[in-house]
Order: sequence, then C-alpha cells, then structure tokens
Amino acid sequence: MNLRISDYFERGKKVKIIVNDKVLEAFEGECLSIVLFISNQKNLRLSPIKNENRGMFCLMGSCQECVVLLNGKKVTSCNVFIEEGMIIKTGDLNES
Amino acid sequence: MSLKKEYDVIVIGAGPSGVASAIKCAEKRLKVLIIDSSQNTGGQIYRAPPKSYIKKNEKSLKENLIQKKFSEDLKKHNVDTAYNHTVWQVSPGFRVDAFNENGTVKWKTKNLILATGTYEKIIPFEGWTIPGVIGLAACTLILKSHQIIPGKNIVLAGNGPLLILVAYYILKFGGKVDAIIDTSSKSDWLKSTFALISNPHNFLQGIFWMLKILISRIPIYSNSMVNKVIKNEKGLSVELKGINDHKTKVINTEVLAVGHGLIPSTDITRLLGADHIYNELKGGWIAKIDKYFRSSIKSLYVTGDGSGISGAIAAYDKGILATCALLYDEKIIDEKEFNNLSNKILRRLNRYEIFAKAIANLNSTPKELIKEIADNTILCRCEDITKKDIIHATEKGAKDLNQIKTWTRCGMGPCQGRTCQYAIASVVSNQLNCKIEDLGYLTGRSPLRPVPLDKSIGDFKYEEITKVEEAPL
Repeated sequence: MNLRISDYFERGKKVKIIVNDKVLEAFEGECLSIVLFISNQKNLRLSPIKNENRGMFCLMGSCQECVVLLNGKKVTSCNVFIEEGMIIKTGDLNES
Repeated sequence: MSLKKEYDVIVIGAGPSGVASAIKCAEKRLKVLIIDSSQNTGGQIYRAPPKSYIKKNEKSLKENLIQKKFSEDLKKHNVDTAYNHTVWQVSPGFRVDAFNENGTVKWKTKNLILATGTYEKIIPFEGWTIPGVIGLAACTLILKSHQIIPGKNIVLAGNGPLLILVAYYILKFGGKVDAIIDTSSKSDWLKSTFALISNPHNFLQGIFWMLKILISRIPIYSNSMVNKVIKNEKGLSVELKGINDHKTKVINTEVLAVGHGLIPSTDITRLLGADHIYNELKGGWIAKIDKYFRSSIKSLYVTGDGSGISGAIAAYDKGILATCALLYDEKIIDEKEFNNLSNKILRRLNRYEIFAKAIANLNSTPKELIKEIADNTILCRCEDITKKDIIHATEKGAKDLNQIKTWTRCGMGPCQGRTCQYAIASVVSNQLNCKIEDLGYLTGRSPLRPVPLDKSIGDFKYEEITKVEEAPL
C-alpha cells in the first residue's frame, strides 16, 4: 500500500538519505519526521531517565520528542526538510 | 529580501490571524514583519505542502488554496516575512529574538501582535509515549500538508470534531481506520447539534464527513477512552475502556492518533508577565484581553486561537480587530473609522462564538480521564516523570504548579511544560480537591525553544567581543 497519495501533487525529486547506515529513498522537501514515521523508523530517540523509545508526537515544533542526529547535530526532525545525502542517526543520540 | 532591524509592528505567527493582522497593518503603511517557524503561511490549520511538490491538476484541497492566498496577499502588500524562524525570547519594549538554520537574529518593535495559535491537549494514558502514538493534530498535518496516510491501519481516539475530520480524510485518501474511540457520548453530540447549526456551512460539512464514516462502517466506540497501549511485533495493541461501564476491548493497529482538544499558546505572554485568566471553554489559561484583543501590557495584542479558542474563520476576524485597536491606539485611525471597522466584525465574532462554544463542549475533558491515569503513567515526557512522582510532591506539601515544577522538574525539559502542564494541573487539582486555576501556571522562562549553542554564539573574532568595565572590588 502506497501511503503517499497521488491525486493532487507530483512529489519533488526522488532523493536518497542515509538512516542508521541504510539508504532510504524519499522526496526532496518532505518533512523528515513524516518520512521516518512511514518508513518503519518510528523510534527516534531514547528518553533521558528510563531510556525508552520515543518518536514523532506533536509534529508542530512544540513537544521536542522527534529529535534525531542530522549530520551529527541534534535537531527536531519535524522542521527538517529532506535533501539529498542527509545522514540521519536515531536511537541513543549521546553515543558517539 | 533584506529585513529591517526595527519595525512598527511585529506579528508572531503566520496562521489566519497573523496574516490578517499583518495585511491590515500594511494597508495603513506601517512597517510590519511577520515571523513563523514553518516554511510558509497557513499556521497549523492550513499548513503548506512541501515547496518541492508540484500541483498536478486543477484539484486542490481547500486548505491548500487558502494558504496560497495568504502568501499571495502578504506579497501583494509588501509585508516583510521571516519564515523558518523560531522565536525563543521576547523582552519588554519589545525585542524579539529568533533563530533559523543560519544563526540568531533580533528585531525591535514598538507594537507586538501575538498570533501564536494553539497546541494539542492530550491526556496521558499508559503507553502514550510509545512511538506510533501521535497527536490527532499531527495526523491531520500529515494528511493535509503532505497528502500522506500515516499508516496502513489507524485508530483514532479523543474527542471533538477533529476525530470526524481526520477519519474523513483517511477514508478520502483510501486509508483504513480500525476504530474511533470517542470520549463523548452520542447524546453529547445531539445536544450540540442546535448550536452547531449556527454555522450552517461547517455543520453541513460535518454531516457530510459523518455520513462517509457511517457508510464505511468504522466501529465507533462512544463514551470510551484509551486505557492502555502496548507495543507488539506488528504495531500497537490499543485497549479501550468504557467510561461508565468500564468494559474493555483490545484493538491491534499500526498507528494511534489521539487528541483531546487544543490549548492556547501562552508562552510569550507568560514570559512578558502579562495578566492571565482561566477559562476552560476557551482552552484553559489565556492572556487577559479586552474585547479588542489588547493585553494587560501596552502595545501588546493577543489574537487568534491563542487568545482563546474560537476556530480559524473567527481567527482571521480577530486579527483584523486586534489591528484596528492597534491602529486606533497609535492614532492612525480615528474613533469613527475604528467603530466602523470594528462593529461589523464584533457582530460576526459573536455569531462564531455560539459554534465555538458547542465545539468546546464536545472537547471538554471528562474527569474520568484524569482519575483513571495509572500511577506509573508518565505525565512529563521530557523528564520521564510519572503521576506517582507528582502525587508524591503534593503529599510533601507542594501546593501550586511552580512548586511542583521545582520539586519534580516537570516543565523544565525542552518542551517547557507545553505538553504536560494541563494534565499535571488536572491530576493535582483532583488530588488536592481544588480548582485548576488555584494552582497557577508555570512561570514563563526563556528560551521558549531549545536554541542550539553554536547558533546562539555564531561566528566571531575574539577582538570583537565588547569588554565590560572592571567591577570595583
């Protein structure tokens, strides 16, 4: 089942990003949180005390749950837009 | 576009209310800047599609058309815009600090209009932190701005018309809704019908959505709540529970989208020390304003849903009205023009309020949702603080929200209490048997959003740092 519906838009250019050392295809300009969410990559980071998995939640820059490492820096993935060659790491973000 | 350092008016938030305000200011030739953290106009309700998406044909979602018009209108009126800028501090006078991917910026302005909208209210339950559980508003954003269905199977839970809207869009896009879990009963909906008819257009649209849902035979569990979510190999196992009969049922799905209404954003008014009042039907704590949206601080106006929830259509009018007050206060328009402009809008706003009140009633949080929160359920997601930790603080003597914050660290994490404040206040008021408003609200603190240190420092030469005079010993 294709979760991207195609009634209204041609998606942008198809690009490749690297998520946890694996190649993932997405469309340029798409929201990183959403792309990860629908690409079987819902676990984004660990919570600080209990080390439990956390992921995208509010999608409007409020909750700060969707933090990932983008090219080595911590960012909220809900306001990152896909570009070719982005390197993403999820999981334990403090482990170098 | 090069931005100025100082403006007559800065508008924060480019949703319906902010856009209306900025245009009205520009019409009167004021130097105006509008700031938004997202890429474009529209706010959350009309969030723009990614810039790289190309329109295929004449078909468009209504929301996308409205958003496009907002952007065109701002351009036509030569309004300065700062998209992708997150405001992290506002100081009296006013100075606005923001950051984007290049670093930090600051602007000065004589007048400030806050059109910062709302965020979603979500009452915690066991397992609400599991990835795959998302906000109902988040679900709407994925559907409307990206035209993507969030998962193969989705359960929707919470209350209010957003449940119906989200279910409708998922079906329209060819997705599958496994169940709708609504805290309201069927009679709650029936009771609201009369007031909802006050806005025939929205009412008929709602009926149309509802029909599509009924035809699709999605199971609807009324008067029910999510009791517990567990992760399994395939996705999520969602246990729902009847609010009155306590009967449980388990549904397996991939995504759970849950939302219990909206909370006005008061980050900036709290930071500036403006007066606030508590109004449950308006979303909880809101800045104290007069009927023209003037706050308790001179030259600070609070508009849109952030001033109390009444919906997107009303938000646009509120923006115009707040700006009329500003123009009058600045002596740009006289009393006659002010009355001419404002009276018509005030009448319209009164009509919208009937509809807004009905929606607010459907979105009211049943006490049972708070009472049923389990002891080990996390309330503050940032700091992993459970209900038990919060109750412990009250037993040790914490009596208001700020004391609870100092005691437990709830509200000190990166979300600054935006996600947990309502739930924690509700749990404590239930525990101490007092009103939510008696507990106060979390004092506003900057930074409002985490600011990356490299961005706040930027590039500098050591010689350029201003040295302060030595302090006397």
